[in-house]
Amino acid sequence: MLDTILQAYKDAVYDTDKEAAFEVVDAALDQGVSPEDIVFKVVIPAVETMMAEITKDPDTNLAQHFMTAQIAAEVTEKMLAKFQHPPAIVGRIVIGTAAGDLHSLGKRIVSGCLKALMVEVFDIGVNVRPERFVEAALEHDAQVIAISAMMVHTATGEDGCRKVRELLREQGLEHRFRLVVGGAPYRFDNELYKSVGADAWAPDGVSAGKIIIDQILAVKPLEVKPS
Amino acid sequence: MATLHLHAPDGEHFLDVPIGQSVRDALDSTELRVRAACGGSGSCGACLIRYVSGAVTPLTVAEYMKINAAERAEGLRLACQMRLNGDAEVRLDHPAPPSEWKSIPLDDLLPVSRSLPELEHHIYGVAVDLGTTHIRVALWDRKHGKRIATRRGPNPQGIFGADVLNRLDSVRSHPGRGAEMAKLARSAIVQAVRDILARDVGEVTPMLAEIGQAIIVGNTAMLALLSGRGGNELLDPEAWQRQIECQPDDPAHWSSEWFMPHAEILLPQPVAGFVGSDLVADLIATGLIDGPPGSLLLDVGTNTEIALWDGETLHLTSVPGGPAFEGVGIRHGMAAEPRAICRVSATDDNGFELGLIGGEPAAAARGICGSGLADAVAVLLQAGMLRPSGRFAAPPGPDGFRLDPANPRSAITAGDVDAFQRAKAATAAALVALLRSAGMDWDQVRRLCVCGAFGRHLNLRHAQAVGLLPALDSCTVELYADATLSGCEQALLNPDARAMFSSLTAKTKTINLSLVDGYDDTYINQLRLRPLIQKV
Repeated sequence: MLDTILQAYKDAVYDTDKEAAFEVVDAALDQGVSPEDIVFKVVIPAVETMMAEITKDPDTNLAQHFMTAQIAAEVTEKMLAKFQHPPAIVGRIVIGTAAGDLHSLGKRIVSGCLKALMVEVFDIGVNVRPERFVEAALEHDAQVIAISAMMVHTATGEDGCRKVRELLREQGLEHRFRLVVGGAPYRFDNELYKSVGADAWAPDGVSAGKIIIDQILAVKPLEVKPS
Repeated sequence: MATLHLHAPDGEHFLDVPIGQSVRDALDSTELRVRAACGGSGSCGACLIRYVSGAVTPLTVAEYMKINAAERAEGLRLACQMRLNGDAEVRLDHPAPPSEWKSIPLDDLLPVSRSLPELEHHIYGVAVDLGTTHIRVALWDRKHGKRIATRRGPNPQGIFGADVLNRLDSVRSHPGRGAEMAKLARSAIVQAVRDILARDVGEVTPMLAEIGQAIIVGNTAMLALLSGRGGNELLDPEAWQRQIECQPDDPAHWSSEWFMPHAEILLPQPVAGFVGSDLVADLIATGLIDGPPGSLLLDVGTNTEIALWDGETLHLTSVPGGPAFEGVGIRHGMAAEPRAICRVSATDDNGFELGLIGGEPAAAARGICGSGLADAVAVLLQAGMLRPSGRFAAPPGPDGFRLDPANPRSAITAGDVDAFQRAKAATAAALVALLRSAGMDWDQVRRLCVCGAFGRHLNLRHAQAVGLLPALDSCTVELYADATLSGCEQALLNPDARAMFSSLTAKTKTINLSLVDGYDDTYINQLRLRPLIQKV
């Protein structure tokens, strides 16, 4: 039965039809499928399929990225509320948009996918000062600081990732946190992430899921209890 | 409408021309202008064409004076004198040298019935809409309330970036670039005025000295770049909410650079960093606050600007929907100019019928403009060839799907659909944010004014089917092709232009969408190709 549900769910997500995706999930709940199974055997495999497809399908567009990530996040959120026990999480990240930058959609796709993949996400908003990224990472005991920057001057500027790296170095925190960046300027120059002091970058919001999980596991391979 | 069959050095053209229009007026808005050095009175005799056949008006006195009997016998005519009574065929052997400046079709502008009879000196005035992509200029005899001519051409700053952000970034990272861009825009404006004077008046420098006022409106970034200042300030989000300084340091320098020693140069103050004076000009042209509460104005362009009048307050915002509606960033995108696909409809045999600006057949299409793209998306969706997700049912490959199988420039790519979806979702989400700000709901909207070249050819039903515009029963929809320049013209013919702008600005409340809770959710929910979700 789960196979049929998974296929129907994937079809709905592929067509970015949120209403249809929720219909599949609600029907599955009615049939007695547990919220845990819906997340681990339907939503997560669907996100993984989507990540694989997006990287090789030239026809997938940005609008579809936004919509699929939104569906994954909303379904997961709804199911998590129904879980018997809080799920084991993979890790924690703080995510925000660099100082001077108000673009919020990129980090939103990343957050959506990560939530569906059982990563705890602390979204600290847009126009975030570099000091705030470090404080929040300490506060939430995160493994990754993710910085979105959609404009050249916020990606490469003095108050962006560069400064966060400097603060981590000064405070002796480089072993605790990995820095991941994303946004249009990094797509135009695939080496740019290095020059701003990041550990990794992702070309799109959906594939950022896997890249960030790799970085989380590089810092902390053990399972953690939810906060 | 009649068809003008034109033989030109570059080949044959077929143009839709209103009955009674002169050949010169018909060609002035196209790539093929006749030579000219007067306002179409027949006094310069430069606009020679050869009549071949068809229904046209007889020779005028001016033509008898300018063309000798032998030439008349060969069919020579003056393009400004000869008007179409029906279909006609003519030959244009010596067009004017190619120019980026073209006349704006008269239908695009609102009639203005004002004048300033009290003016004694320097009676001419210039209205300028400084757009990110295009500059539009109108020259007026203010005393007699007569529009001399108009021009539209590209904003030459485009070489430093198609959108505002790229241009500001270019100024930030290259010393001297700001001054260079300011000079480019300023010289483009005066070139347009000179083109009018050369072709429509026949005298340039003496006439420049008769210009008494120039009013320039635009988005805040364009005005800041024009004045060579404010670039960095506009990149700082904290500054967006404030009024940005756009006034020239030394207006006298501009008027001397332009050879307009008597011109008062007026740049009405933009409302905020992200809402320019162009939107205020739209408010003037549409008389938005004279309408009922629940009047919406949408100026669709590279930066879409929106206003909502609730009876007391003008709620304003702008949304960087991307330049998709102006044809930029679209594979075969182009502005709403001759030979752009501006209308698409389905035919009974599963094909598509294309309508081109200027009326030439589909094979002549050079690309697709904003309204054509909206039509194409709606028609492909109806035909089931596009899914509501924006995905093609059968992927057409990297070269896209050709609306006309024989013409590669009629192709729509997956990326084009994506750009369209994002632009329309941003517009819809911004409309919702304004309604929320005013505490109104869709069913309270009584009037919708759609401004921009995009609106002129827009198929409302299609725009509603894909969720670009709301489908409202109780609401009248008005289309304004060129509201910004029209509003600027009205100000030019008002004794207190400054007050017209400032009294409207005083009623405004600006909403920065980046700071609106739930904007992202609304945006994502509006991305699907379906009618706009009418829930505020």
